[in-house]
Amino acid sequence: MSRIGSARDAGFVAGVVAALLVVASCLLAAGAAGAPRRVRANAASVLTVHDEGHLHYVHASGSVIIDEGSVSGSFPGSVRVRFLYDGEPEVSASFTITGHGGSISARGTGMLSSPTSPSPSFKGRLTVTGGSGRYAHVHGGGELFGVYNRRSYALTVQAIGKLPY
Amino acid sequence: MSRLCVCLALAFALIGGLQARADAKQAAAIDASFAPERLGSATTMSLGFQLTDGGRAPAALSSMQIGFPVDLGLATSGLGVAPCSPGELEAVGPEACPADSKMGSGSATVELQLASETVKENVSLEVFAVPSKDGYLHFVVYVSGVRPVFAQVLFPGVVLPGRLSVLVPPIPAFPEAPDITTAQMRLTIGGHLTYYERVHGRLVAYHPAGVGLPNSCPQGGFPFSATFAFIGGAKEYARTSVPCPRRR
Repeated sequence: MSRIGSARDAGFVAGVVAALLVVASCLLAAGAAGAPRRVRANAASVLTVHDEGHLHYVHASGSVIIDEGSVSGSFPGSVRVRFLYDGEPEVSASFTITGHGGSISARGTGMLSSPTSPSPSFKGRLTVTGGSGRYAHVHGGGELFGVYNRRSYALTVQAIGKLPY
Repeated sequence: MSRLCVCLALAFALIGGLQARADAKQAAAIDASFAPERLGSATTMSLGFQLTDGGRAPAALSSMQIGFPVDLGLATSGLGVAPCSPGELEAVGPEACPADSKMGSGSATVELQLASETVKENVSLEVFAVPSKDGYLHFVVYVSGVRPVFAQVLFPGVVLPGRLSVLVPPIPAFPEAPDITTAQMRLTIGGHLTYYERVHGRLVAYHPAGVGLPNSCPQGGFPFSATFAFIGGAKEYARTSVPCPRRR
């Protein structure tokens, strides 16, 4: 009896252990499945931008020049730039890149070199000011490089940065 | 005897001139205009001033600050896309400067105050971009006069946001005489200039766009101002405005 009883108990314990193992394995499996997803989310939530745009003149209003064009690189798309040069060596540019899945807006400033050359260059910092779509929560900043053609008002700009979103 | 007379006459002339300076009461007036007057387009900017002193020659200037609307596209004008060496300009003349360095031209009337009379001279002005070490757009106004005083002088200047700053060095006339003073000036920035750019290996001529007018005009017109500083410390201020263009 006791043996039968023992055998019954042993079977019950074995059943409980098995059930616990199943639950544990499920939990582990769930945990194992969740962990990589979190890693992937972290990896995907930083946009590494290394883009270059060749922009053409659209319009000017005094010291403000509006240029548009396409950008190529890690976040390809189209861009519209508002470039301000009022005589101060520090020029500023605010721009929006519209790519697949959304847009990123940023503002940058840079120091203009050789203002009496036909195409002075500038180098500075950019700060993301907003985004839309997939990049609605984008933030951060990076570096801004550019060349301003004083004859055609064309701009060549390069933006480099890692932008969490 | 005659040399003594000349010396005495010159001395009295100088004393008279200095006395006139001591009693000086300056007045300044400026004017400005655009041609064409079209909002959002490139234009030629003309600036002028007159300095008066009750019929006498005004005091000698030491600097001018000419204020213009900060959103005016002077830096974005495309003017002065090559630098001219001030040393070569002074030594050789305007022909030493690249065509792409010329930013404008004008004329001025300078005066030499003597006791008995005020001698006037018309001089020509040319504006050239010069090398920049600080990132600002620097220029010089090349002042050239032939008669009665043969002289070439450089007025160094810089384009600042909303302001042109110009230094006026002393312009000597002849030994023992007071410096030449500037009575009026008219300067045109832009205009019919011819520049050259290299396209596919060939030099191609073009006309630079000129000063960009904003899309909108402030109420009361585009404001201009000028502060004139004179040798000796006196200052004069004048302002004007360019009326808003009529809407088309």
